[in-house]
This record gives sequence, C-alpha cells and structure tokens, in this order.
Amino acid sequence: MYGLGLGAGLPFILNRTSAALAAQALEGTSVEKHPNRILVVIELSGGNDGLNTVVPFGDAAYYQARPKLGIPEREIIKIADGFGFHPSMVGFERLYKDGNLAIVHGCGYDHPSLSHFSSMGFWHTGVPNGGESLGWLGRVADETLDPKQRNLIVNLGTSQSLAVRSRQHSPLVFDDPARFRREGTDAEKQTLAELSQARSTTNAALDFLAATAHNATESSDFVRRASAAYRTPVDYGQGGGLAGNMQRVAALIAAEMPARLYYVTYQGNNFDTHVQQADLHSRLLMYTADAVRGFIDDVKRLGRGDDVAVMIFTEFGRRVEENGSLGTDHGTATPMFIVGKGVKGGMYARHPSLTDLDDGNLKMTTDFRRVYATMIDEWLGCSQTSTILKGQFATFKVFA
Amino acid sequence: MIRRLHRTVFIVLLSSFCAFTVAASASMAPAADEWAGDLSPISASDWSYERAAHLIERAGFGATPEEITRLAAMTPERVVNGLVDYEAIDASGLKPFDESVIWDPGMDPFPPSRAEAVRRAREHGEGLGEKILPVGTQRRLQPVVDKFFYSLTANNIETQRLGLWWANRMLASPRPLEEKLTLFWHGHFATGQNKVRDYRMMFQQNRMLRANASGNLRTLLVGILKDPGMLVYLDNGENIKSHPNENFGRELLELFSMGVGNYSERDVREAARAFTGWTNDVLTYKFDAEQHDFGDKTFLGRTGPLNGEDIIDTILAQPVTGEYVAGKLYRYFVREDISSEVKADLGRSFRASGYQIKPLMRRMLLSKDFYSTPSVATQIKSPVHLVVSTYKKMGLREVPTIPDFGRMTGGLGQTLFEPPNVAGWAGGRTWITPATLLQRGNLFRDVMFPDVKGFRPPDRAMSATDTRVGERLAQGMNITEATREGDAESNKMVDRDEDYNTRYGGYAGNLLAFKRTKLIPRQSAAIDLTAMVIAARADTADKVVDHFARRFLSVPLAQKDRALLVSFLRDKLGSSTVKPGDTLESSLRELLYLVLSTPEYQLG
Repeated sequence: MYGLGLGAGLPFILNRTSAALAAQALEGTSVEKHPNRILVVIELSGGNDGLNTVVPFGDAAYYQARPKLGIPEREIIKIADGFGFHPSMVGFERLYKDGNLAIVHGCGYDHPSLSHFSSMGFWHTGVPNGGESLGWLGRVADETLDPKQRNLIVNLGTSQSLAVRSRQHSPLVFDDPARFRREGTDAEKQTLAELSQARSTTNAALDFLAATAHNATESSDFVRRASAAYRTPVDYGQGGGLAGNMQRVAALIAAEMPARLYYVTYQGNNFDTHVQQADLHSRLLMYTADAVRGFIDDVKRLGRGDDVAVMIFTEFGRRVEENGSLGTDHGTATPMFIVGKGVKGGMYARHPSLTDLDDGNLKMTTDFRRVYATMIDEWLGCSQTSTILKGQFATFKVFA
Repeated sequence: MIRRLHRTVFIVLLSSFCAFTVAASASMAPAADEWAGDLSPISASDWSYERAAHLIERAGFGATPEEITRLAAMTPERVVNGLVDYEAIDASGLKPFDESVIWDPGMDPFPPSRAEAVRRAREHGEGLGEKILPVGTQRRLQPVVDKFFYSLTANNIETQRLGLWWANRMLASPRPLEEKLTLFWHGHFATGQNKVRDYRMMFQQNRMLRANASGNLRTLLVGILKDPGMLVYLDNGENIKSHPNENFGRELLELFSMGVGNYSERDVREAARAFTGWTNDVLTYKFDAEQHDFGDKTFLGRTGPLNGEDIIDTILAQPVTGEYVAGKLYRYFVREDISSEVKADLGRSFRASGYQIKPLMRRMLLSKDFYSTPSVATQIKSPVHLVVSTYKKMGLREVPTIPDFGRMTGGLGQTLFEPPNVAGWAGGRTWITPATLLQRGNLFRDVMFPDVKGFRPPDRAMSATDTRVGERLAQGMNITEATREGDAESNKMVDRDEDYNTRYGGYAGNLLAFKRTKLIPRQSAAIDLTAMVIAARADTADKVVDHFARRFLSVPLAQKDRALLVSFLRDKLGSSTVKPGDTLESSLRELLYLVLSTPEYQLG
C-alpha cells in the first residue's frame, strides 16, 4: 500500500524534492525576529529555598524565622537594598556585577500547591491549577518554530519533561550521550539505519515516525560525537550533574546544533532540603552558580554570548520559618533568575513580605508567567505570547 | 523559475505515486477511502482478516494470526458484540492480585509528610504503629521515621507488582475490551500512586474503573469523585466550607466531563463549594457534613442548595459533555482527528442513551469510519500497548519479567498507576522522541537476548545513597559515620543531637520493604521462533519475513524494506532456505528485533 513495487530510489527523490520545496517556501517568509536566539531553561527540582539563595538580610524578620539556618550578615555576598547572595554563590556574584543577571523576586501563582508533583506540573505547563497536556516550551515551539525543521528542542534528562511536550515538535531527549544510541550488532544497526529512511506516503503518522527514526539515527551520532569531541578551557565547577549538562549544551551550540530551546534539569529532587539543609544547600547553590557562570563564559568564548539567555526556576520556595530538623518545608513564592549577555541585570519585582504571610508562607508578588512572557516576547521575539500562555502577562523589560 | 520547475516535477511524481497507491489498496480495502466520517455499520461482505486484525488491535491488544483468522470467519456484528458484551465471557481463570501484607493498623491514616509523621509521634508517643523510644535515648523517633520510609518504598514496590498483575490481565484476559477501556479510564481519570502513596487505593480505583468501564458515565463520574485515591490525589480533604479548594471542581469540568471553554470561573468555584466535605476515611468515601457548604450555589445557570451529585447531573445535561467524552473515546479508539459532524453525532446519541458506554462503543467499532483509510494503522501505540501487544503476537501467555515490564514502559513514558499528572498521558505523537524511538526498539533486543546475569530487579534496588549507607554499616561504622555525606564538622554535631536520622531511615525502610513485599519472580520470555516459523511453514527467508510482517505489522512493508530484511536473514543463515540448526533461533530473533524496531511497528 505504501510504495509497493516502486523503484527503490524513488522515495529518496520525493523526499529531497519536498524538503527543497519546503525550504524555499519558508525562505523570506519567516516571522521570527531573532532566528539565532537560544533559550536555555534550568529546572532546580525539589523546591529551592529562595530565602537562603537571595537573602533578605536587611529584614530582621528573616533572622527571627531562621534562628539556626539564617545566613549571618557578615558572610552574605551583598548586592543591593538589603539583599545578598548565599556565600557559596560567587558565580552569581560575578554575573550580577557584570550586569548579566536579573533576579525576579516573589514568583509564584494563585492557590499554590505544596506538592512537588502538582506544582512542578503547573510550572511545566504554565497553567497553574489547570490540566493542560502540553508544556509551555512545547507550545512556544508549536507557535513559533517550523515543524518541518528537526531538533529545535533539546531536553537533557532521563525522561522528557512535560515542559517541552509539544504538539508538533519532537524534542531530542537524552541523558548520557553515550547511551543515546541504537543497540545491536553492526549489521543490525546498518539495516535499521536503512529501514529508518524518511519517506513520503499517504500515512502521515508513518512519515512522522520515519522522519524521527532517521533523525534519531543521525542526531544520536551527532550528539555523541559533539559531546565526545568538545574541549573547553572554561571551568564549570564541581557539580557533576548540572555542570556536565551545561557543558553538553555548550558542546551542542559549538557544534551548531539547530536547537533553539534547551531544557536542563538539576536531577533528583535535590533541592528538597527538609533536613540539615545548610551544607547541602550551600553545595547545590555553589554548583548551580558555578555551572551557569561557566556556561555563560563558555558561550561568550564561542562567540554566541549575544544569542543565549538562561532562565532558572524551581517549583516552589520553602516556608519562611525553619523546621525542627535544621531544614525547611515546602513553601510558595521564590525568586527566578534570567542570565545572559543581553540581560539588563538587577532586581525586578517586589520581594514578598516576611511577616504578612499566608499560613506561614510568602504571598507571591509576581505571577511566574510574567517571566515566561518576558522570555517568549522580549527574548525570542514572539508575538503570540498571550496565546501560548493563555492570558496576558506584562513583561519586565529585561531585554529591551 | 527553478522553484516552479521543482514543483511541477514534484506534483508529477506525487500524482503517479498516489495513483499507484490507490490502485494497490483498492483490491485490499474497497471503498475505505470514502468511508471516513461514515458512522453506518460495515456489512458482512466487507469483513476481512485485515479488518478483524484492526478491530482487535484497537479494541484489545492485538492477537495471534490464529485468533484473527477465527474472528475473520465470523460476522463483524458478532465479533463486535462479543467484544462489547464481555460480561458473558467467563474470566474467572484470571489470576487475582496476590497482595503482600504491607499495611498494619497503626499506619492509617497515613501522614501527608515525614515532618507531620514526626510531629504526630512527638505528640502521641507513637506513630505509624511504632512506639518512640524513651527520653534520653539516642534517635528516639527513629522507629517512626524508618516506618515512614518503609511505607513509601513498600507502596512503590506493591504498585509495581500491581502494574505487572494488570499487564498480565491485559495479555491473558478473554475480555480484551474490558482491559482496554479500563486503561482508557485510568488515563482519563488520571490518579498517581506517587502522590496517593497507597497501593490499596490504586487497586480499589482500578477495580471500580473496570467494573464500570463499559457501563454508564454518570456511575463512573460519581464513582471517581467518591474514590479515595482520587480524593487524595486532588486534595479534596482540603476542600472545606471555610476554604473551598477549586482543584476538584476544576478537574471535573475541564478534564473529566466538559473540556475547557464551556464554563466560567464562577462555575468552577460554585462546583468546588458543592463538593466541600467530600472526603475519605482511609479506604472509604466519607461525607463530612460539618465541612459541607449547604448554601445556595449557581452552577451553569441552575440555582439551589446544590450538592456534588446535583453538579454531576447538571454537567450531564449539557450537550457538550456527551461530545467531550465521546470525542475522547473516539480519539482513543478510532483516530486522533475527529470531524465536528462525527463529534456532534456521537455526542448526541451518547447523551440520548443516558450516557451508556456500550452502545457508543458498538457504534464506533462497527462504523465504516472505524475501518476507513485514515483510521487504519495510523495510531502510535502507547508504551503499554506496544509491549503487551508484542507479547500477545508472540503467543506468550505470561508477561516476561526480564526485562522488567514497568521499567520498559516507564522508560518510554508510561508507567501504570503513575500518569504524569491529572491530565493523564497526552498520547499520540508525544510518545515519540528520537531517544524513545530508539529505545522502543532496544527494549525488544533485551526481550530477545535477555541479560539474565546482569539483571537488577527494580523491586529490590536501592538508591546509590542507601547502598552507600548499607556498605558503610556493613564495614562496622556507626549510624552517624555511615550516613555522613560531605565533610563538615557541623553535620556530625547535629546528628548526635537529633531525634532521628533520615538517611538511615531511608536505608532501614528499604530493608523492611524488601522483607515484607512479595518478590516478583524473574523469568525471561519463553519465545520459540523456530517453532513459530515451522508451524507457519516458512521455509525460506522470504516466507519468514512475510510471516513476521503479517504477524506483527499493521502497515505493509515497502518492497525495498522487505528486501533488506530478506537479505539480512539470508546473510545470517548463509542461504535462502530455513533449516533447523544451531544458529537458526538467534538469527530469527535478530530478524524479529529489526522488524519490531521499524517505524512501521510503532503503528497500530
């Protein structure tokens, strides 16, 4: 039914011809303002303690709520107006001083969920307390990027994040590039590569699968080679997981991967610091700050500094008051970060009050979708921001 | 100019290609192209092996050629009636779930967090069925913390066992549509164990969904909204008169019944008020009148002291509800794209029948539309369907446990009892990424060539941290030393004073869970491809490839791909003839791995 009896070469001709036509049709018709720009989103899973990340040391209520976990003022890396970074975040200090880092205070949403799972789902979909099945970055791709072009979304992680789930695009998801491969003997792999050629039939699902299979064969090789070959003098710090993944992103950018959206997870719910959080949290923040600083330095070195912006989020902050186990429990509002050479550094939005609380939790001052809108509208230059986010959200003029 | 030339060439090639396709398919599927959108039933004269195969693929988990041949010899009405009226079929031969005893009385009701478990234990001197140690004892709350982590791990393991039990039911049940519908409702009324933390609730919900899978939508809605697992999953215990929680009402409207855009935010709030006080006492539904708001509500234009069931009835009176649910069933069983006419038609008849599911299923499965070209072999198999149907087509009677079933489907994005969120699995193309597509093939290489020695059972696997703690304890270290991570002096100080050590709790909890949960017996697939090809009288490489294609693929192979597979097998065997011998079985397994890794195989 699908090409039975046709000459063996024909499907290839068809495919090349249609690809060439598609490319020509798109030429000059692109609506994108910034076709070279890349957005990298970093997820700090587990619920990062925002109050010990960007510390409101100027507010006595902070030390009252945190008698044991409060960071002593003398140790804080002061930035402005009674706020400072956790002492281990020298990487962020550098970025902030260079004017490449924006802090957005008090990010959250109405009726916050304290469940990791639910709250992360809300951040992933960008639809709090709703049942959206596609991710916000997936919808960005659906609205703005050419569905015929491959590998526009890369997700470094063990499984695909809901954030990148798209109607039209197939994100390239992998964890260890060395394991992103087809198993089998050389003869098996060779035959499968030939069986996975892109084709043009009357069955659209089959064409999609064949194109993805062909892409998988090619891109897994590409990703493996790009990662194995990458050498950089930049130090990404010691945080194996995140540092390694950020370096993989740089390697792909260096190898001219066409991806526009990268999604990187700090694996394993690490930021869920219920118990004895001080040392652990300090390490996590150091790794994060060093990896991001290293990445920004590295892309600048590659000559792509102007094309790359990073957005960092977590599913919720933690309770204002420390708990009895030298840790903190699930909370609500928390800062987000936007990093990159094109960023107008500084602090944005109002920090939530530490005393006017909702059942011990911060009242958010900033709907997190305003930050998403900033990335979509100002950074990627997309005009359909309100369609993607299913509502109007004012941007912060971080990039203007 | 050049562009125009290209296009002309393209169109010429395309039209000759289409002309051929039509000619080729005409002999196999008369009129199938014009059937799209036609809900009238197909006639017995249109019935064929291919159509029976399509039906059993969608209304079940596929079948062996022998079974399909049997169905093809009947009339379509009889086959569909047999599938839909499945209560008439005796299913008592199916194995019941062999539960481990992991819950003891003190564990109910289970605290929402470890912190809460500790707080309660401090207050009452005991928690989770464990007494705390006397004042002055080191780590006096440790037994409670151990028990907390034990419960998490034990429920995870028991849920893995439950998933395997269900997979075996999908494979072996003489009522395939019952299981397929239950899987549909599980995705529609998505509830996840990782939040519920109680396999018993998952099992109970699974039985409720199965018992009503082809019954009545109202019964299902009432059943799910009173289901303890769902009540916990959507935090309806927190939906109380003084603080209505909109979550429950919102999911009911948006995901379970009407779909977004058909109600207002006010309707959501009013619905939430009507469901205040709907809660659970562990495994039973409880109406807490104290927390229920008996006041007047206005919901979708109806005003009065509405309760939860009034809300459900008001929802069922909306035409959009019939369309939404019937449309979702259509997209699951027939195809992704539904025309507005078909949707309206199915929705109308579904509502007119009082929301009976059986007549709707019968109508869809018998319709010409179901057998039309755009419906056949265009659906990307879900991971659970992919794995179960492969085993079914191999003729297996039991789900192999090396490789592990849950790991296989989980790696592809679908773990039974763990949907990604309340919206369920998005399905369709979202199953496919370049990495999962490679993985979809790799899995079956593991089935064909199982690594029995290197296999690590996930139901007995510890995290790296827990393993490290265990190793250090075995070396004779004390708990403080064994659980220390990092080098800080303060860590040591803190551990000496604290009432419990969480890291040790995680480790000890694992050990107890391993002891109390029943072990999953591990065995690789009992496949005999040699016997399969002999029985099929496939004595040449060509015939073997054709047999595998017929048995496993819903989409015919292109001639060039068929030729590639034939030459692969010929190279392996060193000849075109297939004779029993030392290397035959492994050659056939390599070939089957290739067939199961093709893009074609992902479609059902």
